Amino acid sequence: MNELRFFEIYRSPEYVDLLISGAATSAGVTVAGGVLGFILAFLLASIRFWKVPVLDILAAAYVDFIRNTPLIVQLFFIAFGLPLLLGYVWPFWAHALLALTINFSGYFAEILRSGFASTAKGQLEAAAALNLSKFTQFKSIILPQTLIKMFPSLSSQFIFLFLTTGVISEIGVGDLTHAGIFIESRSFRSFEVFMTLTLIYIALALTFKGLMQLIFNLTLGRRV
Amino acid sequence: MKDWLVEIFGNPTGTIIFQLLDASQLTIYLSLIAFVGGGVLALFLTTMRVSPVRWMRSLSKGYVWWFQSVPLLMLLFLCGLGVPHLFDVQITPWTAATIALVLFTSAYMSEVWRGAVESVGEGQWEAGYALNLSFIEILRRIIIPQAIKYGLAPTVGFMVQIIKGTSLAYIIGFQDLMLIGKRWANAPVPGSEPFIIYPLMAVMYFCICYPLAIYARRLETKSIQRT
Repeated sequence: MNELRFFEIYRSPEYVDLLISGAATSAGVTVAGGVLGFILAFLLASIRFWKVPVLDILAAAYVDFIRNTPLIVQLFFIAFGLPLLLGYVWPFWAHALLALTINFSGYFAEILRSGFASTAKGQLEAAAALNLSKFTQFKSIILPQTLIKMFPSLSSQFIFLFLTTGVISEIGVGDLTHAGIFIESRSFRSFEVFMTLTLIYIALALTFKGLMQLIFNLTLGRRV
Repeated sequence: MKDWLVEIFGNPTGTIIFQLLDASQLTIYLSLIAFVGGGVLALFLTTMRVSPVRWMRSLSKGYVWWFQSVPLLMLLFLCGLGVPHLFDVQITPWTAATIALVLFTSAYMSEVWRGAVESVGEGQWEAGYALNLSFIEILRRIIIPQAIKYGLAPTVGFMVQIIKGTSLAYIIGFQDLMLIGKRWANAPVPGSEPFIIYPLMAVMYFCICYPLAIYARRLETKSIQRT
């Protein structure tokens, strides 16, 4: 067994800087992808809830397709296929952001859809008896309940998806995994580097978990 | 089969499709091994998790927490590069990918099964103990037969996650659908542009995953109707 030499990574200011900026990139792209993905997912789930003709079938197919193909294939298609096909040039991070947005939206849309669908029938009947419009029913009855009920699922799905974002390093985005691979290729301390990365990922995931709980307490939690 | 494909689609498309289909076998084998290996490990973990022995519960809980928190990509790097470097051993991509995916699968699967076991009422355990059955006997004869109906749908659903997870194994050199496809997409051959290859690969992954997703959904609606 070789000696564990974690200090070889930590004592080099260059490596530490790389890890910090990598972690910031990972967190930033994930949060941006999560927010945009949630907006897209909300649109998709609403389309399915309102049963908009044609569009609802397309939305269902989109969600099924995204959820049943690996993120990395989606990412490579968006980063290498689409630009060649349509002839545009974007920075790496923009491709990564687009891919994560699309990927996240599929998973969030499924959670929101089942949330919308699970609102008790009696409540909608009561709302209809009060002559509330369909829109008011959706906005004041279905939406708040869905968000409260589905928040834990959305939050854990977000964290699970965060842990898969390392693949964006494969298209050259300088995220945490990218920093790790670079340091590993320089220092040859594979175990130490990947263990460090793992711990940083876990720390970030726990931070996200805490933040999500805080957001819940400050917004939806007050309604409970 | 290669000749047929070449005849139907021409070259190089026929060859590409053949090679991708050939490589997707490995994707399926790796998924199956991960599923079976992870399942066996998960069975032990779940048993430990619900056992009356405290240190076993803590151990299982810690294991599951750790392997659910480690990104799969890092697990692959650790198994494929980190640990072999540390102990100065050679490890094939097959072995490394298998170990990483088995660890990943076992953690998630045991969490699913713990949920299923806990869905069975506490009274069933008490009745078992009242009949003087041992812990293992209660689990085997009373709890598991009832827990299966809760656990089956999410287990099948999780298989989709495993298959998608195998797509990362190419990073440590595992020659599956992903690696072969990526190689073709990078090859300067007309007809193998990335915008052809990646959708083709996506369709292949979809064809493997979607039937499982549908089956899981059907099982779920069935179990809702029954209760």
